[in-house]
Amino acid sequence: MTQLKHASNPMLTKLINPFRFIAGFRALAAGVLVILVTAVLAYFSNTHFPDILSVKISGDLPFWFLVSQGAGNWFIVSVVLYLTAVIASPSSVRLVDIFGTQALARFPYLPAAGIGFFGSVEKFGQYVLWENLGMGDGPVAMAGWEMGFAILLMMLTILLSIWLVALMYNAFKISANLKGAKSGGLFILGFIVSIVLTRLFSNYLLAGLV
Amino acid sequence: MDKKLPITCPSCQSELNVQSLACESCDTTINGSYDLPLLLKLTQEEQEFILDFVRFSGSLKKMAKKLNLSYPTVRNMLDDLIDTIETRQQSDADETD
Repeated sequence: MTQLKHASNPMLTKLINPFRFIAGFRALAAGVLVILVTAVLAYFSNTHFPDILSVKISGDLPFWFLVSQGAGNWFIVSVVLYLTAVIASPSSVRLVDIFGTQALARFPYLPAAGIGFFGSVEKFGQYVLWENLGMGDGPVAMAGWEMGFAILLMMLTILLSIWLVALMYNAFKISANLKGAKSGGLFILGFIVSIVLTRLFSNYLLAGLV
Repeated sequence: MDKKLPITCPSCQSELNVQSLACESCDTTINGSYDLPLLLKLTQEEQEFILDFVRFSGSLKKMAKKLNLSYPTVRNMLDDLIDTIETRQQSDADETD
């Protein structure tokens, strides 16, 4: 019974696989709260999440759009992974475990939504576009420390994305009782399908804004 | 000291059998070759899980609360244990044939 054995670092286990300890309705309640707070932060920081993985700096987007986008990202990936689990798992799979753990797995994008508060990343993007491609409104002056800070924030976003994927994978693995290559392969498949579907959903929402 | 019942041979890792049973009250010793019951072939951890499962009337929710683990984690542990038992029963049946 490998599941009874604790990892050498229990703190690390709680960070990358909290679903050993929390799932079901508790995870669902906490996860829905995470999605809502992320939407609030994203609203004020002008950030949005056009699919389950991407983080983008945006213009002013209405609050309902950000809530719908966050809820859509969670709902679509949960449905895809639930169907995958029901087909492939040898165990009985509870809907609330998949939806609850996938909601809580969105936690890393709560701090990611705060990155938009610093204008450096957007400014760095404009700087790179102008310097390399001559695109944009004109030259962008950027101090060395500002560039360093923007790169640091981008690296932080990448780390948060890796954390998100690790959480989503562990949530799927535990809720569906799948192991090894089977769980990895099915998760990758479900993840790619979800990226496509959530991107289509975001485009549909954006079309409604125009 | 809590002594653990050895179930595998330290030399070749094969399963051990019971060769002798003793009555402490009259000093009678019975020799023979007896297979260990299936439950004793499981690890200490697995045996404790089964005992807890019976104690909690088979309620995985109560088990999860007691072990401070989530419900699917405990359900997966039970499924793994069922797998282990089935594999052992199969290999025991193959040995008998």
